[in-house]
Parts: sequence; C-alpha cells; structure tokens
Amino acid sequence: MNNSLLLPLILLPLFGALLPPLFHRFGRTASAWAAAVVVAAALLLLLSLLSPVFGGQTLLYHADWLPAYGLNLSLRLDGLSMLFALLILGIGLLVILYARYYLSERDPMGRFYGFLLLFMAAMLGVVLSENLLLMLVFWEMTSLSSFLLIGYWKYRADARQGARLALTITGAGGLSLLAGILLLGQISGSYELSVVLDSADIIQAHPLYPVTLVLILLGAFTKSAQFPFHFWLPHAMAAPTPVSAYLHSATMVKAGVFLLARLFPALAGTELWFYLVASTGMITLLLGAYHALFKHDLKGLLAYSTISHLGLITLLFGLGTPLGAVAGVFHIINHAIFKASLFMAAGIIDHESGTRDMHKLNGLWRYMPHTATLAMVAAASMAGVPLFNGFLSKEMFFAETLHQGWLGDWSWLLPLGATLAGVFAVAYSIRFIHDVFFNGEPIDLPRTPHEPPRYMKVPVEILVALCLLVGVVPAWTVAPLLATAASSTIGGELPRYSLAIWHGINTPLLMSLIAMLGGALMYALRHHLFALHARCFRPFDAKQVFERLLYKLILLARGLTEVLENGSLQRYLGLLIGSVVLVTGVALWDTPLSGPVPSAEVDAVTLVGALALAASALTTTIWHRHRLVALIQLSVVGLVVSVAFVRFAAPDLALTQLSVEMVTIILLMLVLYFLPQHTPAESSSLRKGRDLLLAGGAGASVALLAWGVLTRPYQTIGDYFMQQSLPGGGGHNVVNVILVDFRGFDTLGEVTVLGIAAIGILMLLRGLRLKMPAADGEGRPWASDRYPMILAVISRPLLPLALVVAIYLMLRGHNMPGGGFIAGLVTAIALILQYVASGIAWTRARMNINYIKLTATGVLLSTLTGLGSWLFGYPFLTSGFGHFHLPLVGEFELATAMLFDLGVYLAVIGSTLLVLANLGTLTLINREMAEEN
Amino acid sequence: MNFDMPNFLPAMPEMFVLGMTSLILIIDLFLNERTRVVSYLLAQATLVGAFILSLSLYSGNAELSFSDTFVLDPMAGVLKMAVYATVFMVFLYSHSYLRERGLFRGEFFVLALFGVLGMMVLISAHSFLTIYLGLELMSLALYAMVAMQRDSRTASEAAMKYFILGAMASAMLLYGMSMLYGVTGTLELTELSRAVQQTQGDRLLLVFGLVFLLVGVAFKLGAVPFHMWVPDVYHGAPTAVTLFISTAPKLAGFAMLMRLMVDGLPGLQPQWHDILVLLAVLSIGVGNVVAIAQTNIKRMLAYSGISHAGFLLLGVLSGTPEGYAAGMFYAIVYTIMGLGGFGMVILMSRAGFEAEQLEDYKGLNQRSPWFALMMLFIMFSMAGVPPFIGFWAKLAVLQAVVSANLMWLAAVAVIFSVIGAFFYLRVIKLMYFDQAREQGSLKPGADLAVVLSANAIGILALGAFPGALMALCLQAMGA
Repeated sequence: MNNSLLLPLILLPLFGALLPPLFHRFGRTASAWAAAVVVAAALLLLLSLLSPVFGGQTLLYHADWLPAYGLNLSLRLDGLSMLFALLILGIGLLVILYARYYLSERDPMGRFYGFLLLFMAAMLGVVLSENLLLMLVFWEMTSLSSFLLIGYWKYRADARQGARLALTITGAGGLSLLAGILLLGQISGSYELSVVLDSADIIQAHPLYPVTLVLILLGAFTKSAQFPFHFWLPHAMAAPTPVSAYLHSATMVKAGVFLLARLFPALAGTELWFYLVASTGMITLLLGAYHALFKHDLKGLLAYSTISHLGLITLLFGLGTPLGAVAGVFHIINHAIFKASLFMAAGIIDHESGTRDMHKLNGLWRYMPHTATLAMVAAASMAGVPLFNGFLSKEMFFAETLHQGWLGDWSWLLPLGATLAGVFAVAYSIRFIHDVFFNGEPIDLPRTPHEPPRYMKVPVEILVALCLLVGVVPAWTVAPLLATAASSTIGGELPRYSLAIWHGINTPLLMSLIAMLGGALMYALRHHLFALHARCFRPFDAKQVFERLLYKLILLARGLTEVLENGSLQRYLGLLIGSVVLVTGVALWDTPLSGPVPSAEVDAVTLVGALALAASALTTTIWHRHRLVALIQLSVVGLVVSVAFVRFAAPDLALTQLSVEMVTIILLMLVLYFLPQHTPAESSSLRKGRDLLLAGGAGASVALLAWGVLTRPYQTIGDYFMQQSLPGGGGHNVVNVILVDFRGFDTLGEVTVLGIAAIGILMLLRGLRLKMPAADGEGRPWASDRYPMILAVISRPLLPLALVVAIYLMLRGHNMPGGGFIAGLVTAIALILQYVASGIAWTRARMNINYIKLTATGVLLSTLTGLGSWLFGYPFLTSGFGHFHLPLVGEFELATAMLFDLGVYLAVIGSTLLVLANLGTLTLINREMAEEN
Repeated sequence: MNFDMPNFLPAMPEMFVLGMTSLILIIDLFLNERTRVVSYLLAQATLVGAFILSLSLYSGNAELSFSDTFVLDPMAGVLKMAVYATVFMVFLYSHSYLRERGLFRGEFFVLALFGVLGMMVLISAHSFLTIYLGLELMSLALYAMVAMQRDSRTASEAAMKYFILGAMASAMLLYGMSMLYGVTGTLELTELSRAVQQTQGDRLLLVFGLVFLLVGVAFKLGAVPFHMWVPDVYHGAPTAVTLFISTAPKLAGFAMLMRLMVDGLPGLQPQWHDILVLLAVLSIGVGNVVAIAQTNIKRMLAYSGISHAGFLLLGVLSGTPEGYAAGMFYAIVYTIMGLGGFGMVILMSRAGFEAEQLEDYKGLNQRSPWFALMMLFIMFSMAGVPPFIGFWAKLAVLQAVVSANLMWLAAVAVIFSVIGAFFYLRVIKLMYFDQAREQGSLKPGADLAVVLSANAIGILALGAFPGALMALCLQAMGA
C-alpha cells in the first residue's frame, strides 16, 4: 500500500518555506498570508486522510533512497502521527496568525515565516517517518531550524546564547540518538518502524538492549528537556513569544515524548525502562514545578512549568502500562492546548505592557479584562481544575501512579510525588493569575497596557475554547482522536478507560483535592516561601556548569595544542619516532623475542670491531661540537663498516665504502674550512635527556629486531642471485652482476641522478664566492707552506698507478671484486689528490677536463649500451658476453655490461670531481688576490 | 632476463597526463605574463582528457599490467576520476588567487599535474615498487608546491618541515616494505598476500613491517600521532596549495591504505585492525578537541581534516566490503567538503589579506548573506548534520563500525563528533551573530562565486541524493 498523499504533506511546508521571504516585498501581511495558505493547504490534505486513520488504518508510503544503508524515504500515518500532525499544523496556523501581530515593524517577517515553515516541515517529518534513520534526519533538522528561530533576534546576546545552548544540547542528543538507532536497527534487522515495533521480544532480550535504550533515551530526554538536560529550555525563552508558544507547547519539546510514545511497544515494559524513564520523569516533574513557583519572569514560569509537564508525560510513559500510555497521550494533547494559549497570553501581556517581570506586573485586570479571562481559563486547565481539560488527564495520571507494581514497599512514593507536584502546579497557576491580573496596581510599566488587536486574541480564544470543550464534553470532542492515537501508540488492544468527569469519590479525586487546597495554601504563604527559598538556595544555573565545562574543554584544547603543536620540528620528529617505537612495542608485545635458531659463537675480531664501531659512533655524538674530532670519529665509523663488509665476504662493498668514505671526508674537510671549530651548546639538558631516550628507544628496537630475526630460520634471497649470476649475467662477482645486469636499469637511473645532482650543486655554487678566513678558529695563521713538497712529489707517480688499478678493477669487475663504480671512485680520489697536493691552478693547467661533458658521456654511453640490445632484437639492457685473453690481466670476460660499466665509470669520475673541484674553487678569486699581493 | 611487452592500455590516462604535463612544461617556457593562461587551460584540458580516458576504460573488472605491478580496477577508476574532478576544482579556485599574488606560474600547474600523476600511480599500484613510486612522485610535487611562495617565511618553514617529516615517514615506509620483502620474497601484492597467508609460526617480521607501512600511510592521511605536519603545512602554504594538499592526496592516501592492507596484507587483518582502531580513536579525539582552541581557520580546518581521517579509518578497519565502500565514500565526501572549506578561505581573501583568522569571518552574514549561507552548508556538512552529505558519510562509517560489533568505538566517535560540532558551530555563530569588523559587502570574482556556490549547493544536493555516489562506491568495492 503506497499512499502518495503523505509526501506532499512534508514537501508543502518544506518548499513553502521559500514563499514568505519571496512575498515579503509585498508587505508584512503578504508573507503571513503566504505562510498561512501553505499550512492551511497541508492541514486540509491531512484532514482528507482523517477517516481511514480513524478507521484504524496505517497509511504508508515507500520510496528507495539509500537502500544499501537501510535508509528509505518511507512515511507512515497512523493514529499517533495523525495526532501530532494535527497539533503541528493546527497550532502552527494559529501561531502564524498570532505572530503577524506580535512581531514589530523592524523584524524581518519573511525570514521568520520561512524559518517557521522549515521547522514545521522538519517536525512533520519526525512524526511521519516510518524509517528510523529518516526520522533522525528530520530530528536534526528540527534542532537546526529551532536554532534559527530561537536566535531570531540575533542582536540580543541572550537569544544567541540560548540558541547555541539549545542546539548544542539537542544536537548532541541527536547524535546519541543516531548511535541508539543504529544499534536498534542492527538488533532488529531493519530500520522500518513496522519491523522494529514487532520485534520487542528480540530487542528486549538482546544483550545490547540497555546500551540501546540509554542512547535513545538520551536523545529523547535532551529534546524534551528532562533532568539533567532541562536547563536549555528556560534560556530558549529569549526567542520571540510565538516561537516559544509553538516550540515549547506542541512541537519541539514534544518530539522527545513523541519518540517515547513511538517506540513504546518496542522498548517499554522492562524494569530498566521503568527505572530510567519513570524516575527521570518524576525528578523533572518535581524540579520543574518547584522552580516554576519561584520564577518572576512570566515566560520563565511557563518554561519551568513546561519542563514539569513534560516530566509528567515522561513519567506516564515510564510506567510502561497501556493505561499509562493512554494517559500520556491524553496529556500531550491537553498540555499542547493550554500551554500554547498561556504562552500567547504571556506574549500579549509582554507586548502590551513592555515587560515580563512579575514584580511589576500587577492588577492588569482593569486594563485587559478579556485577555485576563482567557489566561485564567488556560491557567485553571494547567492547574487541573475540574471542567477544564487538564483535569481529566491529571486524574488519569493520579490514578496511574497508584497502580504500578515495580516499587514494592516503596509504592507510596509515586502518588506522594505526584500530589506534591500537583500542589506546586496549583500554586504557580494561581500565582500566574493573581500576581499579574490582581494584587494591587502595576509598578512603573514601560507602557500603559491595553487590550491587543482583535486578531491577536483569536488564536488564544480558539485554544481556550478547546480547553473548555475537551474539559466539559470529552466524549464528543477528543475521545475518537485519543482512542486512535493511543491504540497506535500501544500497538494493540486499548485498555478500558473512561473519560467521564465524575468517577465518584476515590483516591485520585482526593489527591486532586489535596493539590488544590495545598496549592492555595502554598500561594497564601508565598512571601515566606520566597524568603526561605532565597535564604536556602543560592541561584544555581546548570548553564554555568555547562559553560564551565566548555571552558575547561577549551583549556584542554589549548594545552594539547601547546604540547603537540608548538611548531618545533624537533618535537614533531620526537613525537614521530616515539610513536613508532611505542606502536611497534605494543603490536609486538606478545611475540616471543628469540626464535629457535641458536646464536652463533662470536669471535674476538668481530667483537672488537663491533665495540670499535659502537664506541666511535658514541664519541661522534658526544664530541659533535668539536668538528674536527667528530670528523675523525666519523671516519673511524666508516672504516669499521668497510672492514665489516670484508669480514662478511663482500669485498666489493668494502671497496666502495672505503672510496665513498674518502670522498666524503674530503668533502667535509672542504666545508669545515669555512666553519668555526666549535659549535655553541644550545640544547637544554632536558632536551638532551629526551633525545637520549628517543635514540635509545629506537636503537634498542632495531637491536631487538635484529636479534629476533637472527634467531629465526628466515630464507635469504641471496641464493637466487648466487645461482643466477653466472648463467644469467656471465659473471662470478654477484654484486657487480646485480649492479650492471640484473638491476642495470636501476644503476643507469642512479648514475643519471648522480650527474643531475652534480650539475645541481654546480648551479648552486655558481656565483658563490666565500672569503677565505685569514686564520683558523684559534686565531693561528695558516701555514705558509701551502703545498707540501713531499705530498706533491708522492702524488705525481701515484696518478698513473691509480689509473692502472682502476682499469684493472674495472676489467675484472665482472668476476672478481671491482667494477665501474669502484674504479671511478679510485680514479676520482687519485685526481683529487692532485688538486689537494699541488693546488687547483697547477692541476687545472695540466689537466683541463670538462667534467660536465665527462659525466654526460658516461650517462650517454650507458644508455646507448642499453639501447644497443634493441638492435639485436632484445629488450633494453639485455647483455651479451664472450671470453677474451689479455696478458697480465689473464682470462677475462668481455660482456656488453663492460661497456655499460665504462659509462658508469666515467659518470662517477665526472660528477665527483665536478662537485669537489668546484667546492675547492669557492675562495679561488680571493686566494689569487692574496697571492698576488 | 627477458620481458614481455606489457599491455599499455590500462595505463593510458597516466601516459596521457605524463605526456601533457611534459608538453606544458616546455610550452610554458615560451609564454609570458599575458599568455600564461595557456598553461592553465592546457592543465584543465589535461584533467578533462584524463577523465574521459578513465571513464572509457572503466569496467567492472580488474586488469593487471606491467608484470602485475599496475592494476586498473573499479576502485582505481572511481578514485582517479574523483582526483581529476577535485584538481579541476582546485585549479578553478586558485586561478585568481594565484594571479593576485604573482604565483600564477607554469610551475604551479606542472607540479600539481605531476602530483596528480603520482596519485594516479599510487591509486593503481599493485606492488610495493609502484606504491613507493607514486607516493614519492606525489609527495615531491607537494613539497615543492608548499615552497613556491619563496619570499614567505611561513611557507618556507612549512615546506622544510613537511619535507623532513615526509622523508622520515617515507623512510619508515620503505623500511617496512623491505622487511616484508625480506620475509616473503615478493613485492607484488597478490603474491604477498598469498605468502603472508602461508607463513607459519610467529609473525615478528611481518608485524614489524606492517607497523612501518602503517606509519607511512598514517602520515599521508594525517592521522594522529603522525599528524604534526598537517596544521603547520596547511597554515604555512599559500591557500591555493593548501586547497590542493588537503583534498586530492587524501583520496590517494585512502587508495594506498586499501592496496597495502586489504590487497596486500589481508592475512594480518587482526593486527592492522588494532592499529587502525588506535589511529582512528586518537585522530578523532585529538582532531576534534584541539580544533576548538584554534583561532586560525586554516589550522582549524587542518584539525578537522585530521578528525575526518580518523572517520575514514573507521570504515576501513571494519574489514568488510561495505566498510571499505563507506571509507571510500567518506574520502570522496571529505574531499568535496575540504574543497568548499578552503575554497571559502580563498574567496574571502584578497591580495594582502589572507582571511586566515576566524575573526575575519565575523558578521559575514551582513556583508554577504549568500556566502554566509554557503559557508553554513559547508560547516554543517563537516559537522555531520543531516541532510548534508557529511551526515551520510558519518552514518555509513558508523554503520560499518556497528556491524563489526565495535559499539564502544561508535560511541567514542559519536561523542567526539559532538565536541567537534562545537567549533563548526562557532564559525556559524561568528558569521551570523557577531558584528563585522570591516564593513562593505564581499564582492568576489564571478568565477569564484560560481565555483563556490556550485560546491556548497553540491554538498546539499548530494545530501538529498546520496544514493548514486554510494552505489558507485559499493560497486567499486564489489559489495
């Protein structure tokens, strides 16, 4: 069954919300009319659906929206939704009329009605949703649109704060409701209400039922301003009165109790439900009633009375009995009617007299007798005086408190609390009437009060008439609506109940009597009570607690920012490394450290080597401020590493490492020349400690990992290369074969990068001229013997020798330790030695090589070798090889890889010298000038 | 060693972008201030072309190529198209911003396109090698972009920090990869997952490698405790660059997470699940709480991004295709919202005034009700308020978490979202309730106004009809 009339019911006000702002240009009345027409249309539409719903049908509408996530655009109109929709649209229409006269010339009308219709659409969405997730969407929309309505007078600070407070509390509640609904859907397998409501057994037996219940109740309680979340409601009174009349009588705050009613069949009836819901309701009922009595602000009184009545309704649902639910639904109707009229009356008083302060408002009867009469009827209904509608549901409530069975011996608590709340209710109702309309003369009112415009009173009159009609002839007026709404709330047979005014003399009537008399007495003694209240209770506002919490949160946030984000890179790195160590530690906490492989014997040589390595690494760190010493220590580290490579049968790596070490050290020496010998100590000892801890942690982790790996039987990938080296690449030297053949492409890339880096450095150095320091760090002048004779003499024969060694290394590299990379480094070192020993000018005169061209030739040669294989139909860099014999060198293999290696050789020489020679010339001009002088 | 000629077709978009970017690089050399717009137009054309190529290659199947190091599957297709669209928007947003600040240079577009190429490679990567390749290509482009404003001290500092921390994270990622390679002997993800499943005995090295991989991913996503760079870099970089960094790379980061964890290491699911839970909780917690204390909107959005990264992780850690789809949905949605958020900062700014302070947003409603409304859409969406798209994204990941039976995690996420809602709300309060510091209405350029409005209204429209995007994500994840 798909009833397509349901969707327009929501869409009308939703899109209708655009009309009032558009019509605003035609005048204030035009936008009010636009809003009224939209709402009236929706109301007519709803009324056309009245008869099937009263016939017991549930109208459904379904369309897919996000089916993968269980979200459908499915709507439902049953008795309960009908009741709420009627309240929303009916009272909405009255509020539109009322607001037309309430709002002043300055207030932008179009925006007000736009927000109001938006809110109305959201509210209709909540009550008409069949899908729980859809309901949640509308639920949040009510929070947002009410935020806009409450903050409507944005120039008022209290309005802004009130709006924010309301949004924060109800929005937060909405999110917890979201979690609760997700759980509920998970448990019952669907988010559709028809499924959820039928699975009460599964839901209540589920282990997650308590969590689900609490989360959902949090949503409902925040919205309905139940203790301890009640404090947002009084602050929301900063809103224009039409908004209060609408939001806090029939709609927004009723959404919470609507949720209780809606999910009543699925969630209610358990002990947990009773204790949570009924006790919250009871506390709220009493607390609200008590506070209402002591408020001097007219709207504040009504706000607390609203809280109290919402507590009453919550309590009724909390009892978990069908009769309780019926009474709850009934009181929802009655409260909506009399509270809306009271708010409107309070608004009229405020509007015409200019104040809401009950200290000043006295004796208004003389100025506005008509309004006073209306307010009196509504207040009597609020107090629960017979013949008014509030009396009927209050009687039902009193009767219900007598019939619950959860509390055992403490059963008397409920009726006692209920009666006490009744006493307060009567007292504050009398106060509302007597203080304002009688009780002497008004005290300097800002304006002289008089009756309001005719049409401003019409809505109040209609509502008050309803109070009377329902109160006097309930069976002819409210009975069918109540029956339909209550039966769809309970989801089953309606219990027997009677709407008669006279039930004979029984306990509920007695309780009512006590409430009346007690209330009157309490009002008579009010001056003493006010004094007592003022003495015993310091004004306490939960809002302050809320704000203090917020402030603490901001402090926490600031603190966290300072700790985590102070802008220091060192701290960030520390956090990064610390986190890694920590996470690794936690992840591997229960993994055993040692594996099954027994640790090998450690021989003395290895041990000494390891200790030397550790010691020199440590001393480098400790003496890092003495640059030269640190450099020497660093070279020891490099040396020991090279030796370690030899120890573990990797002479190639050892050779490479050694050459790289030399080049690096020379490079560092060149730079050191320009720097002071010592660095000032800048780190505090605290920071040093932290760094020590971090370094220790990281080091220990790696050490433990190494231990763990070494004691486990892991397969190495070395075997594969050992086997493939000769057949695949034609060489015995596995490292070299990997470099120039298996990973030839990598090497080509690396050599290219080396060349690019060298050219990059060259570009950076271009134009950079540094002044040569006249003396070293200690103020001693440099030695006059710039190029020591001995070194120069030794270096010259060394060059051809080194070149021969390099060629030797390169040629045999494929099988024995060696290769283009090492050969290149050896040659480079020999050439650098010439520069160092004899000076740049001297060397340049004799050896004028363009290193850029050399590098480029190398890279090109390597690339061409790779391309060459294409000529023979092989992929890039496929190598071919054959064996040759050369005297002295012996049998050797000439593979195309050799050509490739030659390219590498040239590129390495070129780029190394390009960097070093150019660094060396930084002070050249300066020096030449010095020499000329 | 011989190779077979690989199938180049799946990588057509990558090759196209590479070719075009190189072309732009060369063409830009011959352009001057007046004709520079050619580079911009060519860059946009490149993105459109790549989009068309990816769209025409899109199919329901996964296709491997380049010795199984490259994969084109539905996830890759969707994410790449999202990246093109995002960067297209970024260029639209940045156009006038760059012009006004003398940053309208070919490098911006060339670097951004190289970054896009890196993201594409990363998204389609099917081996450690390609993952690293894509990651570095992307990251290097980003580092350089942050440093583009050379005379800005904060930008240089941010670039330096970004580079050093990024290099550190990359090193850790490589370390982890080398560990896993050492154990399994393979770099290719399918083989890796098989080898991991077959590994007997304890998993010391595997878990060790896993942790380091996750460090790399978490760094890219900006998840706590590897988030330190995010606020400083977002703050320091020119807003146009921030816009770029904060959006598209997140999509690539998500793909990286999926490739490494779901494709490569399903055998270690219990372990990575735990670590992701930790990262997610910390990100959501720290991101939302610390954002409150920020006075700079770029930093605030940075922390908001951190908390969103946590939410994204929630989807992935549930370990189901639906959860992955939720994560992907979240990543795409975050990108859209991030574009809007930083786009607004660009729109508010003008030469000499960066509109970085939250105070600059005071009374925006008086100066321009329309853009205040657009910002309201964006903020509400980020806060996860229905009916905006951000709500559906949160809903999807929360549902994934709940169906994975992690109630407490869902509860934590919800609680911190509530706290987070506070700072989004503060922006709205500033815009609507406070007095403007400077008078005069806001008059952005027509192009910016149109782009931002489209972006913000898109957030609302997608919120009303999230079905198509969601279905696409589910389809991409094979759920």
